[in-house]
Amino acid sequence: MEKIDFSKAMRQSSKGIIVIFVFNTVKFFKKFFVLFIAFGVSILKSKSIGNVTPTMLILATIGVLIVILVFAILKYLNFKFYLSEDDFHLATGIINKDNTIIPKSKIQNVYIKQNFLQQIINVVSVKIETAGDKKSEIEISALDKPTALFLKEQLFTKKAVESEEKASIEKRDVFFSVSPKRLLLEGVSQNHFKSFLLITTFVFGLYTELEEYLKELNLKERVEGVVKLDEATILNLLITNAIIVIAVVLVSLLFSVIKTFIINFNLEVVEHQKTVEINKGLFNKVSLSLTPSRIQNLVVTTNRVKQYLGLHALSVKQAMVNAKQQKNFNIVALEKVQLNYLINKLLSNYTEDQGEIKKPSRYYMRISALEMMVFLLIINGLSIAVFGLEMLWINVVFIPLTVLYVHFAYKKAYYRISDNFITIGSGVIDTTTNILEIHKIQSVKIKQTIFQKPKSIASLVIYTASKSVTIPYVSKPDAISIYNLLLYKVESQDRDWM
Amino acid sequence: MNFANPQIQTEDLPNIKEAVLKPISKTYLKIITLNKLAFYSLILSAVFGLKFFIKKDDFQNNFWFVFIGVILICIINFIISILAFQKRKYAIRAHDVIYAKGLIVHSMITVPISRIQHVEESRSWLARSFGLATLKIFTAGESGSDLSINGLPHLEAIQIKDIISAKVNGKD
Repeated sequence: MEKIDFSKAMRQSSKGIIVIFVFNTVKFFKKFFVLFIAFGVSILKSKSIGNVTPTMLILATIGVLIVILVFAILKYLNFKFYLSEDDFHLATGIINKDNTIIPKSKIQNVYIKQNFLQQIINVVSVKIETAGDKKSEIEISALDKPTALFLKEQLFTKKAVESEEKASIEKRDVFFSVSPKRLLLEGVSQNHFKSFLLITTFVFGLYTELEEYLKELNLKERVEGVVKLDEATILNLLITNAIIVIAVVLVSLLFSVIKTFIINFNLEVVEHQKTVEINKGLFNKVSLSLTPSRIQNLVVTTNRVKQYLGLHALSVKQAMVNAKQQKNFNIVALEKVQLNYLINKLLSNYTEDQGEIKKPSRYYMRISALEMMVFLLIINGLSIAVFGLEMLWINVVFIPLTVLYVHFAYKKAYYRISDNFITIGSGVIDTTTNILEIHKIQSVKIKQTIFQKPKSIASLVIYTASKSVTIPYVSKPDAISIYNLLLYKVESQDRDWM
Repeated sequence: MNFANPQIQTEDLPNIKEAVLKPISKTYLKIITLNKLAFYSLILSAVFGLKFFIKKDDFQNNFWFVFIGVILICIINFIISILAFQKRKYAIRAHDVIYAKGLIVHSMITVPISRIQHVEESRSWLARSFGLATLKIFTAGESGSDLSINGLPHLEAIQIKDIISAKVNGKD
């Protein structure tokens, strides 16, 4: 690879014009989308409004496109960046000139991304994130890949550690890459409950709409059918409902599978000396690197089926990363061994069997049973109000479900505090494990409602820079002693949280 | 190697229960009362407004029941907030800041001083006229982990702010 000299001011690849142009066009049309529809429909109907004819409209559109193109070219010409010894310099702006200087030491993350268009014209965009708010993000939207990688490397290279960093980059070790088969399994075995609910409500809405429409069409037969409610109609109704349910399940399955594929296509975890890099995506290719010092929480998710298939998902919560990026730090379809290895890489000295496993108080079961009871009452009330008393049979399905819910919620809840780590387990359908390092705690909170006071029960909330986790419903003395212990550890160790 | 690893006895750790929490200034109750009264009068006038907009008989006949119901809710809310006022307490220890509040959901949050990003002391015009101030303490954590202690005497707020700032800056 030839050395690119970043010390002179340079523009991005000239293909950047296309990227900026398309991006701005899409943005423009999105903004005036409603207007376009309204305008277009009325023009199609009446051929012209006032003096505006279709040809004029097309001309206007072309005019707008040309303006956007000119802007894109100007933007491209005025977008220059260069690297000095310690800083990254960027000059932008057509009329208002902006000069941004970012010290290398303040750069938090450098992402390399590639959306669909960028894949076609073979460029990548480089995003530089600093610790500030969202506005301080910088995106260079078109660079060819070797340049981008070299830039990234340069941004992370400080004078002193240059040689060391070089060595680590050469030692590129693909630790894990996912096969399509495992991705498929991952998609199928996902918790479909959410997408199922989403699609059910959608289909149900459509169904009732349609029903009303049908009613209007042949009201008489319909009414007679309802009044008589003979066996055939009931059977019909059951069959239609069953078909609808099956269709919804299939659709939600497909939905999950496709979503998993698009997001995690070609997922690859690369191990460097100090950092871990994640590459993935079909339409939007992303490349992210994880730095252990910035990691605040690790969340491991799996469920019964996945556990059987050996699929674990690891989500890494880092400090100073915006919510949208946070979602990308998610590695799916990991084997148990790989998962443990990765956790060990990210958190040194973490082992699963440190510390004593403790369960929340029994009160947890009572309170979730109470919550479920309220939920049941609402469901019953609604269904009786809408469909009448015969809908009480749904309780045959719902009551066992709620019992199972309470049972699993309690069974999966535990917490474990070792010398350096807190592990909290939770989940009902999913099994979620939260891991955090004690010295990364930002603050601790103890919570107690007046109903819990006589029973001497309290909950603990532990805040880190990226997430808060709760140890629910432990006895008050336990809660106080955990509280004291955590504060003692944070305050006496004098270790940095980042 | 100079390394010792003595066992930690959980009972010997500094106990949060031993910290003496100090109630916030009594004057702040006046501010709460004023704020609440303004809020209630807004709601009650809205209810009265409805009387002139909705001309249905059902509503007009039962108007006074609705009105009394709303007043009752306001009174209960007021009593709760006065009782909750006594739960607002704070303490500054050598290494952390403690703030407790809440009647129905009582919570006590502790922020180690080494984790504080910055401290702010702010005063609304109402607080200014009563000589009070609010101390805001920000950490790098989620918004839920930030503290804001209302109703401190102005002088005390400045003092605490200075103490914390000195400690935070002394670290770096």
